[in-house]
Amino acid sequence: MTVSQMILILLISPLLAGILSLGFRTPKILHGINFVTIVILAAFQFLLTRELLKNGSFFVFHRFFAVDALSLFVLLIVTSVGFTSSIYAWSYLNRHLVQGNISSKRLSRYFFLFHMFMLTMILAILANNLGILWVAIEGTTLATTFLINFFKLKSSLEAGWKYLILCSVGIALALFGTVLMFLSSARALGESNAALEISELIRVAGQLDSHAIKLAFIFILIGYGSKIGWVPMHTWVPEAYAEAPAPVSAMLAGVLETVAFYAVLRVKTVVDAVVPSGFAGYLLILFGFLSFGVAALFILVQRDYKKLFAYSSIEHMGISAIGFGIGSFLGSFGALFHLFNHAISKSLAFFAAGNIHTLFGTREMNKVTGLAKRDPVTALAFLAAGLSLVGMPPFAMFVSEYSVVAALATQIYHTDTFHFGKFMTLIVSNEVRSLALVSLFLLVSLIVFGGFMFRVLGMLWGNPSISPPADRYFKVANIPLLMSIAVILFMGIVLPPSLKEVMNLAVTILVGGRHG
Amino acid sequence: MFRPDTGSQFVNIFSMLLLVTTFAIVSQRRLSACVDLFALQSLFLGLIAALVAYLTGIHHIYVAALLTIVIKALIIPLILKKVIEHLNVKRELVLNINIPVSLLICGALVILAFSLTQPLISLGFLLTKDSLAVALAIILIGFFTMISRKKAVSQVIGFLVIENGIFLGAIAAAYGMPLIVELGILFDVLVASIITGIFTNRIQDAFDTIDVSQFKGKKE
Repeated sequence: MTVSQMILILLISPLLAGILSLGFRTPKILHGINFVTIVILAAFQFLLTRELLKNGSFFVFHRFFAVDALSLFVLLIVTSVGFTSSIYAWSYLNRHLVQGNISSKRLSRYFFLFHMFMLTMILAILANNLGILWVAIEGTTLATTFLINFFKLKSSLEAGWKYLILCSVGIALALFGTVLMFLSSARALGESNAALEISELIRVAGQLDSHAIKLAFIFILIGYGSKIGWVPMHTWVPEAYAEAPAPVSAMLAGVLETVAFYAVLRVKTVVDAVVPSGFAGYLLILFGFLSFGVAALFILVQRDYKKLFAYSSIEHMGISAIGFGIGSFLGSFGALFHLFNHAISKSLAFFAAGNIHTLFGTREMNKVTGLAKRDPVTALAFLAAGLSLVGMPPFAMFVSEYSVVAALATQIYHTDTFHFGKFMTLIVSNEVRSLALVSLFLLVSLIVFGGFMFRVLGMLWGNPSISPPADRYFKVANIPLLMSIAVILFMGIVLPPSLKEVMNLAVTILVGGRHG
Repeated sequence: MFRPDTGSQFVNIFSMLLLVTTFAIVSQRRLSACVDLFALQSLFLGLIAALVAYLTGIHHIYVAALLTIVIKALIIPLILKKVIEHLNVKRELVLNINIPVSLLICGALVILAFSLTQPLISLGFLLTKDSLAVALAIILIGFFTMISRKKAVSQVIGFLVIENGIFLGAIAAAYGMPLIVELGILFDVLVASIITGIFTNRIQDAFDTIDVSQFKGKKE
């Protein structure tokens, strides 16, 4: 089978599955279609990775799609969270169906939107063209709006509206940034598709106008940043994550953010090639620290456990931004690994939160006690997710967060001299900057650690606030929980060699600013 | 056939008409009039695209021009009119900022847009290079409309005005984006306005108002 056929299958199978889902009402068939699709996606993602490790990166359909280590690594995140989320959705959705919260028609809508969501994300990852990338990311917004408003409550309606408006406007800014990119590249490459192709932009970087590229990057950063949920464009995040059904929250937090981040990274490789002074990196570090710090403060005062995890997402996107912003091999490696760990840990957290919500019927942390006695598996998952999200060893997030801090500490900074009047001179040296940034990072991490563990442990121990279960709905739902725990534990101890190779290749693309 | 500078002046006149309709939207209280003005603005946009296509001889811009007129000047206004009719609201009664002050702020935004794009003008093509500043001005005013209006429908109109500004920017920047990108963008805008249409209806049913600022107080 040729590579272009594999790419076609990756795109066509979710499209077909989505259209097929609209035609059925039977839950078993709908779930069946979903499982088949997700297994196909995972299989072809695996085949493509093997192909990449053998022959290097490749273009298909006249450079319309580009497949390299970075895109395959992000695709791996999408398929793995998509897989666990599909298993979780099995019992989650069936339970709501039994309770009469949703009709079977709604279920088929859910799967249609879910597959469209997968399709737009895969398209965004594979596209070599900044315009198509934009179209696909806007497509993810449109596909997920109704998923957030799935239960049609007043509060979820509000969350959905906020999400739609903020992300659409944000993404309109990204489009303007893309137009500005096109403005500067059309001179070098002519008004054709090539002028928006990422690989071509990097090739002719020397001829691009740096002022236009800088302005374009600012627009793109703010635009896709509103989708990633960086402060101050984060206001839609807590409500949307809290209101969406648990498997959708897991997908939003685990994958959607990662894909939007991927878009920023792709543009960053172009900007780095045009403006080598680290302009893009500084902006990323700025947004990173802002998100990290502000989210930590909100974590401290949170009462709703789903919103707690939402703020934790903002925080982790901040940490990744810092890592990528530093731009060294170590920093980028840590940040990339962090994206993976965050996706798995956060989806685990939202699965556990979904179970707790179903059991206790409330999202308030104060009203949930004694989870360990009431439902040990969920409690274990909740604890593991909590420990992982604050970066405790032996979970994989410790490794990635540590890499980012280490990169922050070993980075060489400018030494600036400030003159105050004639006799006062202040020299801010490399060491001072490094120490200040690392201390700030560690201080904020400490705040997050305290705030998070206090909340999570409070929900675990004590006597259950509700009576023992009459029945057990969540048998199947425990499988993705245990799988995710195993992955984040395993990855914290050993990194599989083939995965490490893909990640190394991906980091080379980011650091070197070259395709392949 | 026009001489290039005559053509450039025509493009400039149409860009200015676009800006004028944007100002008219800001100064308008009646929602249906806002929709009509948006349709008019989209028509002008389509005409600019057609003019650029004619002057440069790049044929794929004709397709974009035609689709802009069909989708943005006909279909989307029809959807919005249906929504307004269903919701039975005629006037935008609540504004965060009153109209004279709004117009002053928009004037300031235009000046800001011109100063921001000054260094980029030399990059553009002769025919359309002044339109980039107008495009950014329209985007900023669209933003301002979204912030200053409270009704969901006017927020949607603000979003569509931003999209029009970006389209003008794309025309100004490099005679339009590649056709496939243009098609994708138009499709996205169409779907977005259908979704917002459905959403405003649901908000109306759930809250008995489309005043978005009423959300907080009425939670269950």
